[in-house]
Amino acid sequence: MKKHSTIWVMLVLLITGFSTNVNAQTDKKANAATDAWRYELEVAGTGVQGTYLLKVWSYSKKPNVAIEQAKKNAVHGIIFKGFAGEQGILGKPPLTTNSNLEQEKDEWFNAFFADGGKYQKFVSLSSDGAIAAEDRMKVGKQYKIGVLVSVNVALLRKDLEDAGIIRSLSAGF
Amino acid sequence: MKRQIIKIALLLIMILGAATAGFAQAKKPTIMVVPSDVWCNTNGYMTTYDDQGTKVKIPDYKRAFQESNDLLAVISKINGMMADRGFPLKNMESVVKTLESERAENAVLTSKSGAGVSESPMDKLKKVAKADIIIQLTWDVLKTGPKKSVRFTLQGIDAYSDKEVATAGGTGNPSFSAETAVLLEEAVADKIDNFNVGLQRHFDDLFANGREIIIRIKKFDSWKNDLETDYGGKELNVVIEDWVRANSLKGRFSNTDATENTMLFEQVRIPLYDANGSAIDARGFTRGLQKMLAAAPYSIVNKLTAKGLGQAVIVLGEK
Repeated sequence: MKKHSTIWVMLVLLITGFSTNVNAQTDKKANAATDAWRYELEVAGTGVQGTYLLKVWSYSKKPNVAIEQAKKNAVHGIIFKGFAGEQGILGKPPLTTNSNLEQEKDEWFNAFFADGGKYQKFVSLSSDGAIAAEDRMKVGKQYKIGVLVSVNVALLRKDLEDAGIIRSLSAGF
Repeated sequence: MKRQIIKIALLLIMILGAATAGFAQAKKPTIMVVPSDVWCNTNGYMTTYDDQGTKVKIPDYKRAFQESNDLLAVISKINGMMADRGFPLKNMESVVKTLESERAENAVLTSKSGAGVSESPMDKLKKVAKADIIIQLTWDVLKTGPKKSVRFTLQGIDAYSDKEVATAGGTGNPSFSAETAVLLEEAVADKIDNFNVGLQRHFDDLFANGREIIIRIKKFDSWKNDLETDYGGKELNVVIEDWVRANSLKGRFSNTDATENTMLFEQVRIPLYDANGSAIDARGFTRGLQKMLAAAPYSIVNKLTAKGLGQAVIVLGEK
């Protein structure tokens, strides 16, 4: 009886360890996709003052990872990439005009974009994570998920300015 | 021992001087939102005067500020959003009011002996609402059946070079039900970030390549010489041009006009700080030229006037 119990405990520990490892691997892949600019930003409306409303398309084998990664991608895109506009709404250029900023400040950005990092402070899921059927697509072995997010750009910009990552409009005067 | 103390004191003064120069701030340009002539004309805020038989229409800003709620709301929104970015703007309505009250005060201000405040015609002419960068604002409401949308344009214009340094514009989404005021608010929120990117680019250029100014040289008709007069084998206009070349940043400037009576230097790039690390503008920069012309061997009496941070005029012959 005691032997059986020990085997069961070991089996449970093995499965838990394996699944944690798989999740970590999926997160790592999602982060690599972000670093490789593998996401798309689409303007979804004019947000309230100081915010951008975006639909972020992210890729992952697991839909829930793609949803979580959408927040990171949105902030990443607003800082480095900008996004195109559409009828009635202007596209926005990136917050930085320095094309090498991510390499120059990589240590700072690694901490900022780490899982559970500060980027989370500036972004929220607009639809409480609910994904419309047409925003969930299977592309090969992966899912391409479109998530509506709202990014507090005013606060994000202020934070980056205070940290000396980007120049403020009145810097030098 | 005494020598050592002097040495340390000198070292401290040098360090302090270097630190002060390092923290010196460039002169901050002023920015003001102004409704465009097109907007004033479309909305009936123009006034007409007779200029020797020709009817001339000019914007009536005072009436526009007194009568248009939308204008007030849009300017207030832009000012608020710019203040959030750490760059508060001059409010044109307040500037107009201040100028009026100052005019009234000057009219009644007298000393105990009965002397009034001296004011030349030039002083009076210069008393207008001005800023280094003008944000020209235009919008109109477009209607298609029951739907309406707002076409909105912001143009940032450098008051000296007349260059458009920042711009943002476009037509918003059409709506059946939204009030014009709401559409305007949405338009400002949508456009201001793009406008500020242009403004930031302009400031980055200013810090990298220096401030761009205009220098005009004129002469009083009472002066017997002109800009073609020889001084030590060189015409005066060549002497002035050589000075501008030697003192502008990387020798960047364009000599757009040159006659015996006038010279115009445009796109003159000047450093933001002088040799002592103090912030300078067009007037501070041109003072060097003024001093050179006033000293031997030229000994030309001259008058230096300035307009804002970016335009200086030297008039030769008299004060």
